[in-house]
Amino acid sequence: MSLALLYALLLKATLTSFSGLGGLPQLREDFVVTRQAVTDDQLSRAVLFGRSTPGPQGVYIVSIGYSVRGLPGAVAGWLALVTPAFLAVPLLVLLRRWLYLSRLRTAVDAVIIAGATLLVPSGVGLARDAIAQLFKGG
Amino acid sequence: MSPPSLRALSWLVVRDVNRTVGGGMASIELMRRSLGRRGWLDDGEHGVLVAVSRFTPGTNVLAYCAALGWMHQRVIGAAVAVAGASLPGAALVTAMTAAVATLDRWPAVRAVLALATLVAGGLVLSSAWALLGPYLRGSRRGWTLASAAIAAALFLAGATPVRVLLALAVWGALTPPRQKA
Repeated sequence: MSLALLYALLLKATLTSFSGLGGLPQLREDFVVTRQAVTDDQLSRAVLFGRSTPGPQGVYIVSIGYSVRGLPGAVAGWLALVTPAFLAVPLLVLLRRWLYLSRLRTAVDAVIIAGATLLVPSGVGLARDAIAQLFKGG
Repeated sequence: MSPPSLRALSWLVVRDVNRTVGGGMASIELMRRSLGRRGWLDDGEHGVLVAVSRFTPGTNVLAYCAALGWMHQRVIGAAVAVAGASLPGAALVTAMTAAVATLDRWPAVRAVLALATLVAGGLVLSSAWALLGPYLRGSRRGWTLASAAIAAALFLAGATPVRVLLALAVWGALTPPRQKA
């Protein structure tokens, strides 16, 4: 697999997800099912590595890149990881420019409140997993 | 107060993002605390950054860092913040993959990771409260509770997070505050 294709496939997965592990189904479809470039075992190991290291969980795609093409593949994975982040800049510029509009301001407020509400199941899920692992370990 | 220098901002991002495991929202909460303590970010700006990061495809914390870096140091700030937030983890994951480490073989490692994840869970819940708190203390408490209830109901009904956020954006746009006479 060429580095350009590797980058494009990894980027497709990151661009179509809105959370760390959101691109996993797409990655499995492209790399395990369609192209057999990595195995399910490598994919789960990548997720484990991503969850075990500090920082964003989405970093697991670097491991997939490495599994496919070694170090250059890891670089392609990192580039695919960070590329979508820069879309936040035009979004921020637009949002700040129009934030004086009361309807937009309340729309942003509602999104912030919704985002905070959605954090609750994430936080509870993390804590529940951690407690389950602690008891399993003991 | 003057905005953070590129060096100060980079150090803060590298330190706060790379000392949590279990996801970016815990890192975002640590950054909010560090930046807020220094007067470099208020709750309103933090809320806007969170909203932007939730609507940006990919990893939320990296989008947050890009927007944060842009806010203070424009292009170079965005690039340095994103690199600082992602490179240490990427290097570690690459090293682990290369060594085909089997972390879950050692119970002590599993226990440490579980404790770190528990802390991350607490930070995520704290982050939720930090975002909701100012709204609940403000004049639109009922509207805030209604918005949270709608978001929770949609999520429980199986809507994806992006759909929940889009639905709430529409709800917010349709329910602007009443103008004072």
